[in-house]
Amino acid sequence: MAEAPARVVLTGGLSRRYTGGVQEFAIEAKNLRGVIKAMDRLYPGLGEHLEEETTVAIDGEIHEVGYYQPVRPGSEIYFIPKLEGG
Amino acid sequence: MDDLIPKDAAKPLKWVGTRPIRPDGVPKVTGKAQYGADFNMPGMLVGAILRSPHAHAKIRSIDTSKAAALPGVKAVVTSADFPEQKFEYVGPERVAVNFWHVTRNIMAREKVLYEGHALAAVAAINKTVAEEALALIAVDYEVLPHAIDVEDAMRPDAPLLFPDLITRGIDPPPSKPSNISKRIEFKIGDLEAGFAAADEIVEMEFKTAAVHQAYIEPHGCVARFDADGQGELWSSSQGHFVVRALTAQLLGMRLGDLRVYPAEIGGGFGGKTVVYLEPVATLLARKTGHPVKIVMSREDVFKATGPTSGSAMTVKIGIKRDGKIVAADGVFKFQAGAFPGSPVMNATMCAFAPYDIPNARSVGYDVVCNRPKSAAYRAPGSPISAFGVESVLDVLAKKIGMDPLELRLKNAAKVGTQMVYGPKLSHGGYVETVQALLRHPAYKTPLKKNQGRGVASGYWFNGGGESSATVHVNEDGTVVVATGSPDIGGARASQALMAAETLGIDYAQVRPIVADTASVGYTHVTGGSRVTFATGIAVVDATKKVIKELCRRAAMIWDVDVEGVTWEDGHAKPASSNVGDFKPLSLKEIAAKRALTGGPIGASAAVNPGAVAPGFATQFCDVEVDPETGKVTVLRFVAAQDVGRAIHPSYVEGQIQGGVVQGIGWALNEEYIYNAKGRLDNAGFLDYRVPVASDLPMIEAILVEVPNPSHPYGAKGVGEVNIVPPMAAIANAIENAVGRRMTELPMSPPRVLAAIDDGDKS
Repeated sequence: MAEAPARVVLTGGLSRRYTGGVQEFAIEAKNLRGVIKAMDRLYPGLGEHLEEETTVAIDGEIHEVGYYQPVRPGSEIYFIPKLEGG
Repeated sequence: MDDLIPKDAAKPLKWVGTRPIRPDGVPKVTGKAQYGADFNMPGMLVGAILRSPHAHAKIRSIDTSKAAALPGVKAVVTSADFPEQKFEYVGPERVAVNFWHVTRNIMAREKVLYEGHALAAVAAINKTVAEEALALIAVDYEVLPHAIDVEDAMRPDAPLLFPDLITRGIDPPPSKPSNISKRIEFKIGDLEAGFAAADEIVEMEFKTAAVHQAYIEPHGCVARFDADGQGELWSSSQGHFVVRALTAQLLGMRLGDLRVYPAEIGGGFGGKTVVYLEPVATLLARKTGHPVKIVMSREDVFKATGPTSGSAMTVKIGIKRDGKIVAADGVFKFQAGAFPGSPVMNATMCAFAPYDIPNARSVGYDVVCNRPKSAAYRAPGSPISAFGVESVLDVLAKKIGMDPLELRLKNAAKVGTQMVYGPKLSHGGYVETVQALLRHPAYKTPLKKNQGRGVASGYWFNGGGESSATVHVNEDGTVVVATGSPDIGGARASQALMAAETLGIDYAQVRPIVADTASVGYTHVTGGSRVTFATGIAVVDATKKVIKELCRRAAMIWDVDVEGVTWEDGHAKPASSNVGDFKPLSLKEIAAKRALTGGPIGASAAVNPGAVAPGFATQFCDVEVDPETGKVTVLRFVAAQDVGRAIHPSYVEGQIQGGVVQGIGWALNEEYIYNAKGRLDNAGFLDYRVPVASDLPMIEAILVEVPNPSHPYGAKGVGEVNIVPPMAAIANAIENAVGRRMTELPMSPPRVLAAIDDGDKS
């Protein structure tokens, strides 16, 4: 049986800018590198934007975008604007 | 081999959670610590900067010939000496940097955009000559109309700061330029249906003033430059790696050609994450061949460095009669200052974050105006939107007759709650802060006439990100911990505590330092409440590598396999079949044999940790309002905050107390007062009133400890969320004291008195 793909969501205007408004994607990948590669295949150039402009929440846990972040089947992955503090 | 590593969370802790004296304490209290302005070099010149007297003007020409000819002047620079930068937003959208803007903020080009905007700089043999030279620079201005406040700047007929600025974030893009740099929106659920289901709806408008971070130490730096193109900088900042990156970019240098040394820092609060002087001093040093020092006056700090934004906002919240929030909507308009980039996105993301609200929208506008470019200030953006949201919640609690803490508890965000910006919350801690105040004996004590009690909550993301650390064992068994994180709030003490705990040695055996950009790996700024978390993980990782190496050395000394060695209480001990065969070896004993066992003992770690746990705070305060003068006196302030685990509780309490005091100043007194010409009338601490000790009660800090599983000792960021609730808590207390709802900051005596008088008339 095929494993459940991860649900990938673009927030904060990312979809308006880069995917013609498409916000949600089903992506099969083992880590964030795979997710970014798959997104870049769908929208060439998007991968670089995701790497440089976003923070990622994987199942609610917020990380800086890192290729090594593991992705489980059925994970919820939100790309959100990068966070910075004072 | 992993068995050698201490199981941090499982074992009882000896040092983490204690309160030893900070390693940087003695030089600071004896006046010997070297801050940015304290550093001097032989042959050093003094730099000075010419600043605009106008809020908005075209620069027709700048003539520096007379200044350059003045005896004692060694160099004069203007924007023409800086390379032009490409117009593009680089880096994360929320804090995207456009170096076309940054270079114009460092040194004005076509226009000056605020009073205090730098236009030219000189290097001279002393301050007198430098200032005389500035007076000889002739600038021909064409003065233009200006816009100071956010709503004025948003008007269709407002004077434009940039003739071609088209609002980003609107589809299709507007056809005409405006001062609105960006619009952003986050939304979940069905807002219309949510409000339709509400029994009570409250919609209110609020305004907040721009306030400065008010660090005690003005910006200052010394730069030197060699004929081989190598530069060095000594600078007081929140991140010397970022100083290096920005300065190198603005001057077209390679990072490897610039070395930046961290000075002690006398406060930053976000305001020292950017550069103002460093590129100018470096350019002057390059031009003259001499070291150049530039130090800002307090007036310069107020007129030319970033405050946080002033704002105008509308907040609308709907609830059921049982207190359940069903819908929330906020529109937040922020002053960015002269260049795009206010913290409005944070404001929209944090506004409703403490609560489980199924239908919510938050909209933000980033608006340029003729003020200094805004900079980060402690939980940037979150305190501003919280002022509106937490005030409206107070009104709603009254409408349905519910205790305001109970209302917050009923709607508290928990693990799994969806945030307005998308993902579900993955760490708790908010509920516990509310419960801590509900249990507090003073929460129910009766108050007297003209006294009132107010509560509010706040949220901040906290940060992770890149950090580096190196741990060396000295020849005598003492230990050096070097990190790249400037120490603003006791970071050195916390890093030493974590290293001592991990190694099992005394805190006094560990010497923590902040290393320069050539001596430790890249480390992001001390900001975003990230250092104890992220740099702490780097320190613990490096320390664990050192422990592995110490065990390897002990195995060599005993001539056994490394599996036969374990590390416990600062000693290598025989394990398994070797138990009883050898006397434990101390760090000192192993260090003494270092040459025989392979040389110096040390290790580095570089990390980029995620799984960041956010911070929650809930606070209540009691105030007394003088009905004759409108003066508000804070009688009591109790601040509960989820800190994960306090590594050094005194410095965690200090962070909470400091954040609350800055919030009290923001609430009651602090504001920029501009005159009709767009010039700042209160550029000094006499007229820009920050709270001092005699204005304040003891701030009671309650450390709520919900450990963070992502950190080896459970630490969460603690530096920022404490500034989020105070403004609303005080406004809510004033309303309970005198029955007047304050919707504009600061709630200064004239404004409170006017509200009392207006209420009396009606």
